Amino acid sequence: MIATSIKWTRHNLFGKPLDVVLSLLVIPGVLWLAYTITDWAFASAKWDIVVQSLRVLMIGVFPADQAWRAWTASAIIGAILGAGLGCVFCFKPHHGLVLLLVPVLLLIVDGGLENALPATGIIASTILGWALTSYVPLTRKVLPAAAFTGFIVIVAVMAPPGVGLWGGLLLSVLLTLVTSVLSLPIGILLAFGRQSRLSSLRIICTWYIEVMRSVPLILVVYWIWILMPVLEPQWGLADVARGMIGFTIFYSAYVAEYVRSGLQAVPRAQTEAARSLGMSEFDINRSIVLPQALRVVVAPLVGNVLDIFNSAPLVFIIGLTDFLRAGQMILANPQYGDRTFEVLSFLLVTYFVIGSMITYAARKLEDHMATGTR
Amino acid sequence: MNAIVEMKSMNKFYGTHHVLKDIDLAVTRGEVMVILGASGSGKSTLIRCVNGLEMYQHGRLVVDGFEMPVEADRRLGGERELAQIRKGVGMVFQQFGLFPHKTVLDNITIAPMRVRKKSREEAEATAMKLLDRVGLRAHANKYPGQLSGGQQQRVAIARSLAMEPHLMLFDEPTSALDPEMVGEVLDVMRELASSGMTMMVVTHEMGFAREVADRVVYIDQGSILEIGKPDEFFDNPKNDRARSFLARVLKH
Repeated sequence: MIATSIKWTRHNLFGKPLDVVLSLLVIPGVLWLAYTITDWAFASAKWDIVVQSLRVLMIGVFPADQAWRAWTASAIIGAILGAGLGCVFCFKPHHGLVLLLVPVLLLIVDGGLENALPATGIIASTILGWALTSYVPLTRKVLPAAAFTGFIVIVAVMAPPGVGLWGGLLLSVLLTLVTSVLSLPIGILLAFGRQSRLSSLRIICTWYIEVMRSVPLILVVYWIWILMPVLEPQWGLADVARGMIGFTIFYSAYVAEYVRSGLQAVPRAQTEAARSLGMSEFDINRSIVLPQALRVVVAPLVGNVLDIFNSAPLVFIIGLTDFLRAGQMILANPQYGDRTFEVLSFLLVTYFVIGSMITYAARKLEDHMATGTR
Repeated sequence: MNAIVEMKSMNKFYGTHHVLKDIDLAVTRGEVMVILGASGSGKSTLIRCVNGLEMYQHGRLVVDGFEMPVEADRRLGGERELAQIRKGVGMVFQQFGLFPHKTVLDNITIAPMRVRKKSREEAEATAMKLLDRVGLRAHANKYPGQLSGGQQQRVAIARSLAMEPHLMLFDEPTSALDPEMVGEVLDVMRELASSGMTMMVVTHEMGFAREVADRVVYIDQGSILEIGKPDEFFDNPKNDRARSFLARVLKH
């Protein structure tokens, strides 16, 4: 064991003169960095600020006495996401145990139930959704309808204190979900429109896609935010809704381009075979071309979701308090002026964990779609 | 006159390239017509015109009582009418064209269900009968990628037959197959021919042509040079180019 690791080290780290130099520079550097970070994280960092501000980070300026509404919404989102995951990635009990560590950890660090209780609820409903679609395949069929109903419930539960109060990580996740779900069908229609034989439709779709891809997201969001009240003053749309519309309008163009690359990857012979069977163009596109196209572009489409999530902080431009902004808000309090690194570290780690979970789920989704096709 | 396909001085161009020149051809119901010719002679293009996968520019083409519009008129629409004619004309491709994301059974049932509005039960019952006919009943729930080339092509034939066509087009159905699989596909086609199906077959299988064809058509550079009974054509070709073509392909 030790002999093999020495052999491995010599072969891989000290094989050539250049390797020796690099290793002598990098290894001490990494060790020093790791020591510094660990020392800071466990000895000098005061993490109590994160625990105390956890509610603000998670749900923003949502009123504390109404927090149960936001926690309920979070639990529903957890159930929907868990159920979605269960369709492609089977739940195992040890997954549940790892997830349950979160509330346990909170209970230990916090010493109270204020944070641990909602966390337990959210995690429990996630596990429930995950296990349900994993073990009862029949429930997968009703998932879209259930998710839609869940979303209506979320809005209904969250609305009473004021839509303008939505914030924190919950807002980031909601924005990502709504944008991802809405931009997919719009993007698919745009992609088909861009290939249409009707030249007017083709030109409109091409222009839409090209314009959106040539301007910054933040500008589109801002434009929609100031334009909506001018165009449709009687709707009185909340900032959150206008932000979601801006994101959807922008990201639909990107989805359209991904889908178009998938459409082009479907061999012409497939269309010809379907035509020779007398199928209508609509049926051909819906049942033959689109499913094959989407399989090809699963990875970029999930990458797009990640992109949306990581762009969510830009909604600060229209005055919304997303996860990152909530962190800044806490730091704006002079009393916490010396805790910058603690809060930013928490943000970094949380973004990293969520982001890697999305890419991990994407890999599972790809594996899932690859089976049985070739 | 009981022609299911009628071509009258049909012409097709790819840009300035004249692919089909003044084609006059009639296929009677129940006939098996084999179309021979060197590659690039226009024989695939000819049968692809019959179900509208290719457009022609001048002349006239009537398929199963339906006047196929020339290219200038196709641009104005008419996809729905085309779909109507395609319902009655099956086609088998060189590269099979099975839908890789659907099982064998779903490949066969999708068109009858969507186009002929059959119920799933009815479509599946027909599909299983057809799979029996091509000897692949046991593979109904596999995906095309799990089958050999010969099996895929037999599924493709069954898929076309599920639409109960009046005419079957075969575009080099065995050219993409390993030699040991050619036989199983030709057997299915032979059986289909003996059942009275009208067939237009583009192929390089001379043995099959001689045995099964009612008439053989020889095309070279977009023109029909010879039409006749297989025995006459193979034993005593009248045209010089047909003779040298046969000399080339029959040598091995």
